[in-house]
Order: sequence, then C-alpha cells, then structure tokens
Amino acid sequence: MTEINYQGLPWPVRDDVTAAQRRAWERLGRVGTWLTGAERIAVAAETRHAPNCTLCQQRKDALSPNSVNGRHDQLGALPELEVEQIHRIHTDPGRLSRAWYRDLCDGGVAEERYVEIVGVIATAVAIDTFTKGLGLDLWPLPEAQEGMPSRHRPAAAEQQMAWVSTLSPQDAMGSVDEDLYGGRPTVGNVVQAMSLVPAEVRNFFDLVTHQYLPPAAMMDFATEYRAISHAQIELAAGRVSALNQCVY
Amino acid sequence: MNYQPWALLRASGHNDGSEYDLSVMTGADISGEGAGGGVANGALLLRFATAAWAGDAGDLAAARTEIAETMGAAALTDTAAVVALFDAIDRVADATGIPLEDQKAAITADFRSTIGIDDFAAADEKGYST
Repeated sequence: MTEINYQGLPWPVRDDVTAAQRRAWERLGRVGTWLTGAERIAVAAETRHAPNCTLCQQRKDALSPNSVNGRHDQLGALPELEVEQIHRIHTDPGRLSRAWYRDLCDGGVAEERYVEIVGVIATAVAIDTFTKGLGLDLWPLPEAQEGMPSRHRPAAAEQQMAWVSTLSPQDAMGSVDEDLYGGRPTVGNVVQAMSLVPAEVRNFFDLVTHQYLPPAAMMDFATEYRAISHAQIELAAGRVSALNQCVY
Repeated sequence: MNYQPWALLRASGHNDGSEYDLSVMTGADISGEGAGGGVANGALLLRFATAAWAGDAGDLAAARTEIAETMGAAALTDTAAVVALFDAIDRVADATGIPLEDQKAAITADFRSTIGIDDFAAADEKGYST
C-alpha cells in the first residue's frame, strides 16, 4: 500500500499532520461499522468521481437542484441512492435539505450507512483537498481489508437535534461509547453529528485535531499553535465555509 | 467547543484589540484594498482558500507561491491543512442537518445577516435566518 508521505516537498508538512492522515487513510480501507472495507473504498472513489458528473454540474448551475432530473455518471460499485447521497454532499453541500435526506431514507438508505458514508466522504475530502492544495497528485486509495461490519449502534442514540439520530454526551456516559466526547458534559453539535456511528467521530476528529486545532487550543488566543495565527486560521476557514454556503 | 470560524475570528480580534472585517469572508472581491479584513496577510489567505475550493490550478499555484514567499513554507502547509479540514467539516454539518446551537446563534446574530450568511440556502432550511 502506498503510504502518505510528504518528504521532499519544498514546503514542510508537520509530522503530526502526516501521521494523522496516514491513520485516516489506513482506516479508510478497514472494515467499518456498517460498511465493508470494499464499500468504504467505493465511497471514497465515488467521492472523487462526483465532480465529473454531468447531472451534478447541471444541478449545481440550476436555481434549484430539484428541478433537474437524470442519472449520475457513476463508477457502478454502489446503489443508486448512495451515489445520489455521495454526489450531492460532495458537489452541492449548501443546498441539502431535510426533505432530500428523508427521500433517501424512504427509498431505502439506512440511517447508519448514511452516517458512515458521510464520515468516509469527510475523510476523503480533508485529505484530497489538502493534497490538491499543495499541487500534488491524489494519493492512491488504500486496499480494502476483509472483515464483517460490527453493526454497532449506540443504544441511546435517537433523533433529537439533527436530521440523523445522535448520541448526546449525557447518554454516552456509562455506555460503551463513554470515551466519545472525552467525558465532557457538553460538546458542539458538529462533534455529535456522526455519533450514530461513533467510530466515524473518532476517526474524523483525529484529523480535526491535527489539520485544524485540538479543542483546548481553539479559544486559547494567548498561544499560537501553528505557523499561522488564530485569526489567520479562522479567516481561511471562514472563507471556505462561506464558499460552501455552510451556516453552521 | 466552537467550530464556527466567523465567531472565532471575531473573538480572536476581541482578544488582541482588533476589529476584523468579517464581510471579507463572504465577499466577492478578494483583491481590492482591505481585502484581508484587517488580518495580517489576510488577502493572501483568502486567495489561497478560494483557489483551493475552486480547484483552479493556475490561481492555486500563484497563491501557494505568494504565501510561501511572504509568510513562509510552514504557513502554506498549515493553511492548506485548515482549508481542507473545513472543506470536509462543512459537509459533515450540512449532511447531518445539525442546527446551530442557540448560544452561537445569539452571539452571531448581529453579523450573520450583514455579511450574508443568512442568505445561504441552509439558513432558511435550518430555520435560523434573522
């Protein structure tokens, strides 16, 4: 398997960033909670393929994405509705809606698979956008590993604040997922967003800690933790969020 | 934990006595005077973030060179890491339909409308446009 390696670049990539990306890449090919290793790799591959989809481009250009029908240009390894999920999340995230999500579920997409797919998309985007940002070729996807998904669903997960079911910090206490929020009684909604599949929270927030900041550093304005300041970090982050039309 | 960059940029400014212009993050003009919003080398960061998001190889190459020469090579890779991470975490927030916490909605209400965040489709969808 090709290992992520930024040695030899004219710009130094921090060792902890490289290490976090290597962990994430290795997990990408591992059997998931609801998806096999092969399915997780297929999701990552479809994520990369989505920008080439004619239907997605037409929808992106339309006043409403719902006004354009058709079939996605796809790689053929995943069910049609999961391709719809992946393509829309990748190409037009700012115009997703609860009704769109409900349509996917009514059509047969399982909520747990939906959330795990979101986690795989997020991991692929975090690493691919970084790689492209530095002008490098994308890393080859890892090989899929064998194994059966654990199908672990937190017993106390329920629909409470998001479209998807989530596990609150209070309900995580005393459960097998007690470590999920580090024992904190409250965490931001985005940290809880994928908690229906706890492994995806752990996986993705490992990248968050290294590519962005650890939780304790986010509002510690007295100390600078990166080669760019807090203000510079937030300006760059805010610009991307604005371009993605993300209101969170 | 607060992952909302607009609020954190303003909080950062309060800490060091600066009043940053948050509208540059949503603005169309990222090359004019004041384009950086008062943040040191802000215009360079905005250009890089915009080019990385758009995937424009030419603009991206130019933005990389600008940042590396002006701010240093480590600043370039740290900027790329942040930009990529937010390109991903935005999708987590949008795809799961999480709402903005009441507290964050309250502390950002005064500028969300002004800088155009409330005009995003998701603001109406999630019911917290002002």
